[in-house]
Amino acid sequence: MTAYLVSILTEGAIFGIMALGLNVIWGWSGDFDLAYYGYIAVGAYMTLVLTIGPASATPPAQYILGLQLPYPLAVVIAVITAMAVSLVVGSIALRHLRGIYFSIVTLGAVYVMYVIAGQFVPLFNGYNGLSGLFDPMGDVLGLDYNSYQYFFLGLSLVMFVLVYILMARVSSSRFGLALRTLREDERAAAAFGRDIYRLKLKGYVLGAALGGFGGALFAAYLSAFNPSAWAPIEVIVLYAAVLVGGRGNIRGVTLGVLIMGVLVQESTRFLPQIPVLGDLNTHHPQVLLAMRGVVIGLVLVLFLRFRPQGLLPERRFVDRQAAPDITPRIITTNSEASP
Amino acid sequence: MLLTLGFGIVTASILALSAVAFTLEYGVTNVANVSHGEILTVGAYAAYLTHQRTGSAIIAAIAAALAGGVVALAMYSSLIGPFIRFGATPTVIFIATLGMSFVIQNTLVIFFGAANVAYTLDPGAPHQVGPFLFTPLDEEIVASAIAITVVLFLIISRTKFGKALRAVSQNRELARVSGINATRVAASTFFLAGLIAGYAGFVLAAFVGSFTPYFGFGFFLITLTAAVAGGLGRAVGTVAGAVIVGIILEVLPALPVPFVGGYISASYNLAFAFAILAIVILVRPRGLFTSARRTVFE
Repeated sequence: MTAYLVSILTEGAIFGIMALGLNVIWGWSGDFDLAYYGYIAVGAYMTLVLTIGPASATPPAQYILGLQLPYPLAVVIAVITAMAVSLVVGSIALRHLRGIYFSIVTLGAVYVMYVIAGQFVPLFNGYNGLSGLFDPMGDVLGLDYNSYQYFFLGLSLVMFVLVYILMARVSSSRFGLALRTLREDERAAAAFGRDIYRLKLKGYVLGAALGGFGGALFAAYLSAFNPSAWAPIEVIVLYAAVLVGGRGNIRGVTLGVLIMGVLVQESTRFLPQIPVLGDLNTHHPQVLLAMRGVVIGLVLVLFLRFRPQGLLPERRFVDRQAAPDITPRIITTNSEASP
Repeated sequence: MLLTLGFGIVTASILALSAVAFTLEYGVTNVANVSHGEILTVGAYAAYLTHQRTGSAIIAAIAAALAGGVVALAMYSSLIGPFIRFGATPTVIFIATLGMSFVIQNTLVIFFGAANVAYTLDPGAPHQVGPFLFTPLDEEIVASAIAITVVLFLIISRTKFGKALRAVSQNRELARVSGINATRVAASTFFLAGLIAGYAGFVLAAFVGSFTPYFGFGFFLITLTAAVAGGLGRAVGTVAGAVIVGIILEVLPALPVPFVGGYISASYNLAFAFAILAIVILVRPRGLFTSARRTVFE
């Protein structure tokens, strides 16, 4: 039971980092980016090929590098690689495209990445994927298997908190505000002299960096990565988490991760224990996963329809002097003066 | 080379059916229906199940079309229509249909399992037609696709419903103030598109020889390429786009790779489709066959 709790909390923390990254792109900048999972995958793959031994030691497997670098260094390089890939995709997709055209092109980008990772075997060993990153830093710190699980949970939580604090600062920074301005009204932002393209691209690469970082942690947690990890069900839960919690609000996104990533994901695990549904599992093994998929899809649709702002909506910044009519009237002048 | 070209013509005609249905859906709602591929999947399952029970391919084809029509109508009346009335933006509806596509795929997995379903019609003996080698099944597919497209264009250009459809596609509000019931026209269009897409699902399954709950989604990605290349919402352009994309996708893997030698594996097909898609969207976002100029805020 403890081991189970440790594993879902670790997963939740890693998942939270990924969701905060997606929030930069979809929540603040306002672009529905379907390529996001590609950056997670790049982060995970790069971490693996940088930390495991050369491919020649494991004959049927083929992959690049195999440098056996220390894990932290590998993570840094993996994040930089994810940023580089996102810079390429973003500089193509963000220049002119918005709305569904942007989504379609990013969907294309992630598919191209997926097909290359799966088909081009010499890169990341094709559909068999990579494995062999066991307990990174464990031997240096002298941890056995059991205590390592706690160490990695602690590491993931600390990383999540650091990312959260960083995002809280970005959220209220001029950059964070500028990104939201673009989401609300690009023309107005352009009229005020903002370089839309560069701002959006910066936000995009920042989001992808968090995705790559989440992927790097994920690779260490799973000790392996292969194309089946990009299955739509793994991907869409991330979008559902950001939407359910509240796009643009990092507290909301965290809540969304708890609800979608931990609650929905884990509660469906116990469905076979409900007497009426008990024999469902025996029909074929995918039923549980499929039921989870139905739940996640329905939640996504229902939230879009009935509560698109999410459970914890983003706080709206209103300039009271510029728009006195749309704010609740406040009689005392004192409260007007203090923001 | 000619063999793959002949193959490409069959693929292109299936693609044309799927893409023209998608573009009709787009036209009357201004929304990209991501769950379009699931109409094909449902059509394939309906065809398979009826074929097993009745043993007749013709009844299977009718069942596929009807199932597709019903599913498409349900998509419009339960999801897309309410979202439009609610005033949701096209991007929001895009995401919602993505969620619905996920729901339908997984529902199919619950009922039928995720394993490949083998479904083959007897293709008959291949014979020479002009420069190509076609089986009777190939010929039937191409002929039926052409016939359906012709009938569809007659409906669009000659009937009162077609006129209403065009009016709603061009300007929903203006059509409404002119006394056209836009919701009903859109629902009927979805039903019509569903008939075509359901039939396309049956044909595709029979042509490929097997299908899974995910098979429509994979084909949707190619459909999207064809529809965007032809111009979203433009029926004639979409058919042309489908023919071009379908042929390119079959012929490209058969061409030797310059400098390196060898051939590109056909499994890169989807990646190619998307490379084409990205280039078309970036260079000519309104489709290949239009003189309209691009706008930055597309």
